Amino acid sequence: MAPGAAPVLRGVDLDVAAGRRAVLVGPSGAGKTTLLRAVAGLEEVREGMVELGGRRLDRGVPSHRRRVSVVFQEPRLLPHARIDDNVALPLRAAGVGRRERRARAGELLEEVGLAGMAARAVRGLSGGEQQRVALARALCGEPELLLLDEPLTAVDPNRRESLRRLIVRVQHDRRLTTLVITHDRAEAAELAETLALMLEGRIVQQAEPRELFERPASAAVARFFGTGATLRGTVTAGLLALDDATAIPVSGPDGPATWVIRPEAISLDDGAPLRAEVVEATYAGTHVRLVLRRGELRLVMHVAPGTRVGIGSEVGVCLPADRLWRIPGEDAQVSARS
Amino acid sequence: MLAPACIVLLLLFGGAVVGLVRSSLVTLGGAVSLDAWRGLLADPGFADAARFSVQVAVLSTVLAAAAGLVLAGLLRSRGTLPRAVLALPVPVPHLLVATSAVLWLGPGGLADRLLGALPLELIRDHGGLGIVAVYVYKEAPFLALLVLAACGQGLQAREEAATVLGATPWQRLRWVTWPAIRGPLLVGSIIVCAYAAGAFEVPLLVGPNSPPTLATFAFEATKTDVIAGQGTAAAALTLLSLFAIAIAALAVRFARDVEGA
Amino acid sequence: MRRPSAVVVATGVLFAAPLAALVVRAFADVWRAPALLPQRWGGRGFEAAFAGDDAIPALVASLGTGAATTTLALVIAWPAARVLGERRLHHPAPVFMLLAMPLLVPPYAVGLGLTEWFLRLGVTGTAAGLVLAHLAVVLPYTVLLLLSGFGPEIRGLEEMGRAAGLSGAERLRWVTVPALRPTLATAALVSFLVSWSQYGTSLAVAPEQPTLPVVLLPFVGADPQAAATLSLLFLAPAVLALLAAVRAMKAPA
Repeated sequence: MAPGAAPVLRGVDLDVAAGRRAVLVGPSGAGKTTLLRAVAGLEEVREGMVELGGRRLDRGVPSHRRRVSVVFQEPRLLPHARIDDNVALPLRAAGVGRRERRARAGELLEEVGLAGMAARAVRGLSGGEQQRVALARALCGEPELLLLDEPLTAVDPNRRESLRRLIVRVQHDRRLTTLVITHDRAEAAELAETLALMLEGRIVQQAEPRELFERPASAAVARFFGTGATLRGTVTAGLLALDDATAIPVSGPDGPATWVIRPEAISLDDGAPLRAEVVEATYAGTHVRLVLRRGELRLVMHVAPGTRVGIGSEVGVCLPADRLWRIPGEDAQVSARS
Repeated sequence: MLAPACIVLLLLFGGAVVGLVRSSLVTLGGAVSLDAWRGLLADPGFADAARFSVQVAVLSTVLAAAAGLVLAGLLRSRGTLPRAVLALPVPVPHLLVATSAVLWLGPGGLADRLLGALPLELIRDHGGLGIVAVYVYKEAPFLALLVLAACGQGLQAREEAATVLGATPWQRLRWVTWPAIRGPLLVGSIIVCAYAAGAFEVPLLVGPNSPPTLATFAFEATKTDVIAGQGTAAAALTLLSLFAIAIAALAVRFARDVEGA
Repeated sequence: MRRPSAVVVATGVLFAAPLAALVVRAFADVWRAPALLPQRWGGRGFEAAFAGDDAIPALVASLGTGAATTTLALVIAWPAARVLGERRLHHPAPVFMLLAMPLLVPPYAVGLGLTEWFLRLGVTGTAAGLVLAHLAVVLPYTVLLLLSGFGPEIRGLEEMGRAAGLSGAERLRWVTVPALRPTLATAALVSFLVSWSQYGTSLAVAPEQPTLPVVLLPFVGADPQAAATLSLLFLAPAVLALLAAVRAMKAPA
């Protein structure tokens, strides 16, 4: 985005409907933060535009005049000011008097669960508490758009749940147009009404979260959200031949294609035609993750925590045809390259 | 563990202070008397020297702080090269800067030749501007580096946050940047003030014959009057040292405040 | 590296120009106003500077005192720096006060005060007396610079060394000192420079055995070219320090 630097975003089209909560997810370095900074006015846009409520922001509207608020990954609070003075910064910038500012800040602090902390110093707060202050501060400016850049990453994992619920509640109560950036796919699924995946500076799929998990637009999308198996081959008469001995039923027309299936959808079934060898079995608290091999094919599946399967044993696996998702518009050659 | 350093300092530095006080109170004959002090306080030359020292110290500090702020502001976003450039005068002894000052700013000096003639007289002038110039040249980069050290990543992140939340550039400067740099700047300025008040070799080169700075006054006292001179010099230097010690206490207190923030 | 801005260049010129002028002056046998360049170049400055028999001994005195002071200061400061750097004191303020005072009190005052005792002990004008006087002024710098190197990382490395079976001396040689090398270098360099630059202390404690700056000062009015020559000599450690710092900055972290 800066003159002379390599372009980070290449052709991004992201629409966030008014009053909705969208999440932009993708691996680190994909360009999500750059996009957020561009929308906030912290980076220059060389091509393309940023539009909010029908008004173009990228031409001549400096960052401090956009009605956009940001909650950053770190709280970025002013260390020498009181908590309520930190929250009230946007009002102070707008010229509001001190008493009114502090009153408003007190209300917001209550809303984020920090009632009674108004007069305290910033120093003693935990990471989660500081982020709540940052959230209150972002809301204080009555923005038209709220941006959150990996807001939960710096917070203790035990505290993330309550902060996440706070964000959802606050957004819902205000019908505030919100965009959250994260690299954590589980967090993305829980936070999003609309979910967009960005890979290498491009948005590759944008839909309801369930769509991206269960009906990914490409093998790359499937890989990001964790696929149980990627099958490539040619369908003949409703059967996909995995090798000379095995064929499994699939839906859809004949011809070459690629299928993916969620790890949770695969099940152990001694009567199934597909057999594979267990190479890894890891207890993951809520489930047991099995990695299976059959020749070139690698399968990842989740089974109930109580299941005990021996490494090296051969088991039968069932890939239900209705849970197999055929990646649209791709044939075996194309998907092999992606 | 701390003992060796503390003992050495207590012995040497403490001894020096005690030695000064003793020198001011005990004549060569061995008798205790306040003559040196009485003479000093009655001496108009002392009053002149004290006033001059304060003048030089305050002027040097204010100008160095202003120049340091300007330098830091200009060089803040330019990477590591500026810090290297700013660090150039730091290891250079004050005496050398003074020598260069004579070369450049004296009558017939290089500045005269380049510019035609200097509007001000800077070497051996009554206002002590030459002394101030040397201290500003040496200490402005020092203060600039202190300020720049406080302008790290954290500050930039907070400034961005303030911008996004609606603060104009001027508001940002007042509410985010200034609170972050005023602590180090204050402590640094206090240190510069103490240094400049104790100016010794610099006035010898570029300062006026009269009035002298306090340290130079003391030195001359030892030369002019062999018998009483030591006492007078010691008394003057004791006062100067007390001033510096008071300043040191201020600096330590403010430094801890800054650290704690 | 991007092209440096005008401001940086201007600042660079401002700080480098005096040095250049000094070099020119040192080699200018004849340089009358209003010429911008010397009328005649030559090495007369060197002859004049070293003509008397105090320049070389002064140089030796400065070097020797600097080296001795620095070594002593490092050894004495090391344990104190460790205690302070690892924040093991509950009330560090008095110690910092003790460190700050010699930093800010005029060195001439320290020198004159010490002379009072040195006269009684008969050590005025001796090398030992000079070193002691310098030590009083230099030690705070050494402690303050050294303490920034100590901290949890060094502790962690030393614990690793102990767990790996190294004895105390081995740990010192192979773990602590190498880890502390940049800090040590800075502390040593600055300590040396402070001793090297001392004027007031040297003048007070050992006027008969002058150090380089003491010898330099009278030349400034009397013979500018000789003064410039001695100045270059006086400047040498500072330049070396700058070069070392530049190399340290460029070296991969």
